[in-house]
Amino acid sequence: MDQNRQGARASYIALSIFVALWILVPSAVRRFNREAFVEFQAPALHLVGKSRDMATFWEKKSRSVEEMTAAGRDLARINAALEIKINALEDIRRENVRLREITRYNVPAEYMSVVARVATRDSSSWWQRIVIRKGRNDGIRPGAPVVFGNTVVGRVTAVHLTTSEVDLVTSPGFRCTAYLEGDDQNHIVLVNGVASNSLGTAKARVSVIPRDYSMPAGQPARVFTTGMGGVFPSRLVIGYLDGGTYATQVGSFKESLLIPSRDLYNLQEVSVLVPLHQNPGEALMQGDQFQ
Amino acid sequence: MGWAWLILLLATYPWLLGADLASDTLASSSLVFFISGTCLIAPCRRLKRWQAILFAACLGFLFEARRPIPDGALALSLVAASIFLSSNRQLLRNTPGMLWAAAIVNMGACLIWFVASLYVSPASSGDLIGHLLVQLLLAGVVGSVALVPIALTQNATLDRLSIPPAPDTP
Repeated sequence: MDQNRQGARASYIALSIFVALWILVPSAVRRFNREAFVEFQAPALHLVGKSRDMATFWEKKSRSVEEMTAAGRDLARINAALEIKINALEDIRRENVRLREITRYNVPAEYMSVVARVATRDSSSWWQRIVIRKGRNDGIRPGAPVVFGNTVVGRVTAVHLTTSEVDLVTSPGFRCTAYLEGDDQNHIVLVNGVASNSLGTAKARVSVIPRDYSMPAGQPARVFTTGMGGVFPSRLVIGYLDGGTYATQVGSFKESLLIPSRDLYNLQEVSVLVPLHQNPGEALMQGDQFQ
Repeated sequence: MGWAWLILLLATYPWLLGADLASDTLASSSLVFFISGTCLIAPCRRLKRWQAILFAACLGFLFEARRPIPDGALALSLVAASIFLSSNRQLLRNTPGMLWAAAIVNMGACLIWFVASLYVSPASSGDLIGHLLVQLLLAGVVGSVALVPIALTQNATLDRLSIPPAPDTP
């Protein structure tokens, strides 16, 4: 019994020494340790994601011919509508090119789009994240914006060999600047994620809204990216203002909650916009990619 | 057998992956299906103390790896729990004792990563106490409910490895 107590005491002392060493050890060691455990789990996450795709495939394959015919008919209608939309967008693109040539507008930083499947979602008060099945091997870098269509999903916070972690718009670590729809003076507002409460819908907060801002009547005001800071391209939709705005405690500005424009927990696929050239924000992220 | 802890970790990993998938389905409620503390109970009865320590550290690091929790906060806490449990095996002699230990260790570890995350994330919220209570309740319930199947898997693995039941004094 005494031997057991002595052993336990020695273990506690060893643990205390290890804790002290752990605090003092260079952060690179801790990062290597974290990276090793992430890579250990990566194959399992890939397997889960692919199994899910396989299940969906077989579920669809088991549908009856009538169902598939009806789905094909609906799809044809949607395709027809989309073709009209594509033509309209093509007109806009041509006009855009023409205007750029006229004004000799500097083309903003180009992005490389990497489409990635969502492997798993993870959410708590302190983080709302998704893990995607693309990583450093596919050219993804920390800080890259993640979008679905023209809506912002989040930002890449950590990149591993074959997987990446994405902080969603509603995650407390997410911040970006934005414009509000209906604000003719284009005041810049700040969007940041909010620590969410259990069983509630995750939301973000829009702050520094000018006191004289009034929302457009009859529709929720959309919130767009500014394109400043070099992380997100401009005019991407971040979400909608939730209801009204309310004055802050100081009273100089107003605040509002933001509802993401997509259901972030039902995404199956996202696009990562990797800047072709490294921007300053990205350089900062590389030194602090796990925070 | 020196590598028993590692083989046991591989045998336990499907449960951890399952918990991650359950967290995936609970994502919209911001709750995490946490079972790392529960996975520690059965091995602490049979593994040697140093093996239990390594096992606990790996469990903690596996949970922390993909989450913004300060490095080592959970892993070292689980190591401390494993030292305590492997030094007081009389507490784990019967099933009710193991269930209590599973609930307490799981809730304690859950509390630690929740508070550690608070340290990293500067954000604050008025209803966090409520969320913490719900998360702890979930951790306690899941910890107790999942103990038996997890312990069965782990004991079967240890039996295959010919690890004898641990004596009362390690």
